[in-house]
Amino acid sequence: MTTLPMMPLPQERTFPFDPPPAYAGLRDGDRISRVTTPTGLDAWLVSDYRTIREVLGDGRRFTTRAGMAAHVLGGFDPNAPIGGFSQMDGPEHVRIRRNFAPQVTHARRLMELTPMVARITDEAIDRMLASPEPYPLHREFSSAITTGVIAELIGVPPEKYHLLQDAAYTLFDTTTTPAKLQAALAPLFGYLMEQIALRRAAPGDDIISRMILHSADSDRPLTDEELVRMNAALLVAGFDTTASMITYGLVLLLGDRARWETLCKDPSLSATTGEELIRYLAVGVGLLRQATEETELHGRRIAAGDFVVVAVQAGNRDPSFLPDADTFDLARKPGPHLGFGHGAHACVGQHIARMELTTVLGALATRVPSLRLAVPLSEVDWKSDSAVRGPAELPVAWS
Amino acid sequence: MKVTADRDRCIGAGMCALTAPAVFDQDQDEAVVVLLDETPPDDARVLVEQAVDRCPSGAIHVR
Repeated sequence: MTTLPMMPLPQERTFPFDPPPAYAGLRDGDRISRVTTPTGLDAWLVSDYRTIREVLGDGRRFTTRAGMAAHVLGGFDPNAPIGGFSQMDGPEHVRIRRNFAPQVTHARRLMELTPMVARITDEAIDRMLASPEPYPLHREFSSAITTGVIAELIGVPPEKYHLLQDAAYTLFDTTTTPAKLQAALAPLFGYLMEQIALRRAAPGDDIISRMILHSADSDRPLTDEELVRMNAALLVAGFDTTASMITYGLVLLLGDRARWETLCKDPSLSATTGEELIRYLAVGVGLLRQATEETELHGRRIAAGDFVVVAVQAGNRDPSFLPDADTFDLARKPGPHLGFGHGAHACVGQHIARMELTTVLGALATRVPSLRLAVPLSEVDWKSDSAVRGPAELPVAWS
Repeated sequence: MKVTADRDRCIGAGMCALTAPAVFDQDQDEAVVVLLDETPPDDARVLVEQAVDRCPSGAIHVR
């Protein structure tokens, strides 16, 4: 029996902003190689931009049925999919996705949501400036904003925030067992089930009510269980990922004063800066797919049932996609990067996440240009047991 | 330049409407792509090609 190399995972302690160096060699060499992943699945590892797009863009040859991250999340059994939104393919998935889309990806709806995000951001800055230094930016600022936005969107009151935070932390914790995951999700599912009954009776202006009303006219209205799963997925996916992006991005900007000052001199750069952070850092460790049939990837034969992991972070640094991809440029014109994935499962909350990141960067650059890291970059405490990369906490100061 | 949009394939991501709003819109009900101009002027080509590249579901094409 041959032992496969372990899939290289990002190590923020050693390379705070860069993909593992092994990926560049892989990308420029064979492009695809056989690895063992942290949960013990053997998989093909793909790290070049073009092949990643090919895998994610073809839901017929590469299914997401096993779960997007079962290669790093111990709580997921790829052979016993739980049937969530992120594990559906084809028309089933499109049916569900189209009930999300008008609520979160429609350009006009986003315009309606902008003032709410700006208000929540301003309130978080007010709270920060009224607090003692050093201030724990990740928990009290980034996470508070993204929790507030997604909770307000869905209509979850502050006293219930712990339900979604517990569920999200447990889901993304790589040491979670299936039993622990179920225990963490049960209270959230129970709460959402109650809310769905209440809102079926008396709809409001929240996402759950909008989805109920939207699907009522369709051939197959959403069931209570589908609504629970969709909203749980939105809640759980919507806050730690975006919060980590905000905190991680601020480490990169504040860690190099010239970058931060460039943004403070011209806060209108916050849109391109946000997009460049998403490309440059990409907070996921890789996405999992499974071949549905015998096929080929870059000349290699892939057997039906083989797992494929795409290293999004490395793909975004592929020089064949972007000539100076390893350079961070906060004025870069956005291109089709892979930071939100690609294909039918591309992040459904990406416009809201972008808006949150852009709003936060612009507001901090305008209101708190004196913001700085309260510890040296080398002492930042990085997450080590989560599928979402970034600092575990980030002490900051401003006076 | 001839643009086509496959509404069955569209997942309503909205990248096209954000990238080339003179050529693409999203319908109010499902956020699915609406093709505003099947034969846009040549000076729209760069934006249309960017929209095609950014569409996650491969629902729009240009030739």
